[in-house]
Amino acid sequence: MALFDTPLLGDRRPHRLAGPHMLALAAVALGLVALVAMAGLRTEVVAAALFAGGAAAWAILSSARAALPTAPAAVEPAPGLGAAGVAALPLALPDPVMIVEGVEPDGAGDRRIIFANPPARALYRLGEPPSLLLTSIRDPEVLEAVDEALFGGTARTVLHLPGGVQDRAWRISARPLPPAGDAHRCLLHFRDETDSRRVERMRADFLANASHELRTPLASLGGFIETLKGPARDDPKAQDRFLDIMADQVSRMSRLVGDLMSLSRVELNEHIPPSGRVDLSLAVTDTLDAMTPIAREAEVRLSFTPLERGDAAVIGDRDEIIQVAQNLIHNAIKFTPAGGEVVIEARSGLTLAEACASAWPQASRMPLLTPDPDERVRYVRLTVRDHGPGIARENLPRLTERFYRVEGAKPGKAADPGGRAGSGLGLAIVKHIVNRHRGGLAVESVPGQGAVFAVYYPQATSA
Amino acid sequence: MNSHIVKAYDEELNHLTAEVARMGGLAEAQVSEAIASMARRDATLAQQVIDRDLKIDALHLDIEHKAIRLIALRQPMADDLRRTVAAIKIAQDLERVGDLARSVAKRGLGLIDGEPLTPLTRSIERMGKLVADRLKDVLDAYSAGHAERALQVWRSDEEIDEHYNALFRELLTYMMEDPRTIAACTHLLFMAKNLERIGDHATNIAEQVHYEVTGREPEGARPRTPAPAAPIDEPGRD
Repeated sequence: MALFDTPLLGDRRPHRLAGPHMLALAAVALGLVALVAMAGLRTEVVAAALFAGGAAAWAILSSARAALPTAPAAVEPAPGLGAAGVAALPLALPDPVMIVEGVEPDGAGDRRIIFANPPARALYRLGEPPSLLLTSIRDPEVLEAVDEALFGGTARTVLHLPGGVQDRAWRISARPLPPAGDAHRCLLHFRDETDSRRVERMRADFLANASHELRTPLASLGGFIETLKGPARDDPKAQDRFLDIMADQVSRMSRLVGDLMSLSRVELNEHIPPSGRVDLSLAVTDTLDAMTPIAREAEVRLSFTPLERGDAAVIGDRDEIIQVAQNLIHNAIKFTPAGGEVVIEARSGLTLAEACASAWPQASRMPLLTPDPDERVRYVRLTVRDHGPGIARENLPRLTERFYRVEGAKPGKAADPGGRAGSGLGLAIVKHIVNRHRGGLAVESVPGQGAVFAVYYPQATSA
Repeated sequence: MNSHIVKAYDEELNHLTAEVARMGGLAEAQVSEAIASMARRDATLAQQVIDRDLKIDALHLDIEHKAIRLIALRQPMADDLRRTVAAIKIAQDLERVGDLARSVAKRGLGLIDGEPLTPLTRSIERMGKLVADRLKDVLDAYSAGHAERALQVWRSDEEIDEHYNALFRELLTYMMEDPRTIAACTHLLFMAKNLERIGDHATNIAEQVHYEVTGREPEGARPRTPAPAAPIDEPGRD
C-alpha cells in the first residue's frame, strides 16, 4: 500500500490517492508506528519510546506531505497532539484494527494479536492481548494473507465472511509493519462491507420476488379490463362487481409492495443493533388496542396479562417490536376459528436455555432463529398461542421463507379478518426484525390444536 | 490457563489446538464454498473445493502425528490428555466434513449442465447455511474452550434433521411430478444427506469439546428426530 511504503522506504513518488483517505491512513500509520515503537521498547525508558514515536510520526507526516502536494491544510500536524495523542489514534478509529505478531514462518499456531482497538475487541470478544489469532479467525484466506504480510512483506486484501446469524462481510487488509526483534508484525484493518453486499443481493431478490408475485394479480386485472371494455361494456351490475374485485387486487398488490419494502428496510439494517429501550409489555398492550376491532370482527378473544412496569424492558426499536407483535397476533387471529381465543404471554429474566425451552411438551418444536450464545444476556419472551388448525411438522422449517403460505389461510375466507390476505412475508419480516434485535424465534405446534410462536429479545439491564 | 514447568510442553499443546482450529477453518471454508459453487453454478469454484480437500487430509495426518508424538514424549495427564485426545478426534471429524464438502461440490458439477431448479437449490442453500453456522458455532466453542456453547450446538442438531426431512419431501414431490428432474433431484438429495451428515459431525465435535472441557459426556440422550421413513405414500404399496 502506497502510504506504508512511502515513509518506510523513503519513496517520494506522488500518489494519486484521495485527500481525506490519505489523511485517515496517515493517522492510522502514525498511531501504529508509535505504538509498535512503544511496545518494542518496553524495557527502555518511556521517554525514549515517546521520542521514537514522535520521530516516526514526524517522518511519516513530512513524507506524507511531500507525497501529497495538493493536500488540504488539515494534513499539517497538529502541534499540540504529542506522542500520547498519536498513540491514542488507533484506539479512536471506528474500524476494527489489530496488530498481529509471528516468529515462526511455518507455525500458524504462534500468530498472536498483540494489539486490538475497541471495535476489534468487541467484534471478537477479545480479552487483554496478547491472544492467539487462530482463536479469533480461522478463515484460511485471511491466515494466508497474514502470513504473506508477516514473512513475505506483501500487502493483501481479502474478503472475510465469518458466517453466523448476522451474516457480516468484512474486507480485511493485511499490511506488513516493521519487525521488533525476531517478531514479524503486520497490521490488520477491517472494513465493513456488509451493507454493499446486502444492497446488491436485496436488489436482485426484490426484483425476482416482486415480479413473480405481482404477475398473478396483474394478469387478472388485465383480464377484467378486457372484459369491461368488451362483453361487459353495457352491464352496470357486472361492471360494479368487476371493479370491486379489481380494487381488491390493487390493494393486495399495494400491500405486497408495502411488505416487500418493509422487509427490505429491515434486512438492510439487520446487522445494526438497535439502541433504544422499549417496555415489551407496554408495546404489546398498545398493539392489542389497535388489534381489537379486527379481533372483534373475527369473533376472537385476545387475552394478555401485562408484566410489572419495567420488568419487560428490552433493547429495541419500538416500531419494529410493535410490528413483530402485530404480525404474530394478526396471524394468530387469522388462524383461530370464530369464538376461539388467542393467548399472549410475556416472561422476563430468562436465560437463553430457558427462553429456548419448550412450553408445550407434546408439540413438535422448531427454532426458526437462535441468537449467538452469550451467557451474560437475559431474555424477555413473548408467546402468542392460537387455537387454529396447527402446522404440520414438516412445514415448520419453511415458515419464515418468503411467500410461503401454510394451507388453511386462504385469502378471502372468513378466517381472514380485515380482508387482509397474507402476503406470505409476515413471518419473514418478524424473523429479520428479531435477528436485528439479537433475539430468537421458535414455533411449536400440535396439528388440530393450534400453534405457539415465541419471540425473545435481550433484556435491557436496569443500569 | 495452568502452566507446566516445561514451557515447550505448553507450547506444543497450544500449537495442537491451534492446528485443529486451522483445520476447522479450512473445513468451514470448504463447506460454504461447496454450497456457493452449487448455488452460483460455478464450476471453477467447485473444482477448487475438490482440489483443496487434499490440504485438509494432509493437515489431519499432521495433527494425528503431532498428537501421538506429544502423548509419547510428554505423557499428558488429566485435562492435557483430554485435550490431546480431543484434538485427534475432532481432526477426524473435520476430515470427514472435508470429504462430505468435496462430495457436495462434485454433485454440484453434475448439476451445472441441467436446467436450474431454483426453489430446490435455494432450499439446499438455506440448509447449507444452517450447517455452516453450526460448524462455526462449535469451532468457536472449541477455540474458546466453552462447554456450554458446545452444548447449545449439540442440542440443536434436530433443527438440521428437520430441514433435511422437509427437503426430502420437497424433492420427492418434484420427482413424482416431473420424472425428467430425477437425475438432478438425486444429486440434490445426496447433497442434502451430505449436509445432514456434516451437521452430525458438528454434533460429534460438540461432544468432544464438552468432554475436553468438563471431563464428562453431555448428559441426556442425543436429540434425534425420526428419519423421514416414508413421508409420501410409496406408489404401488396400496
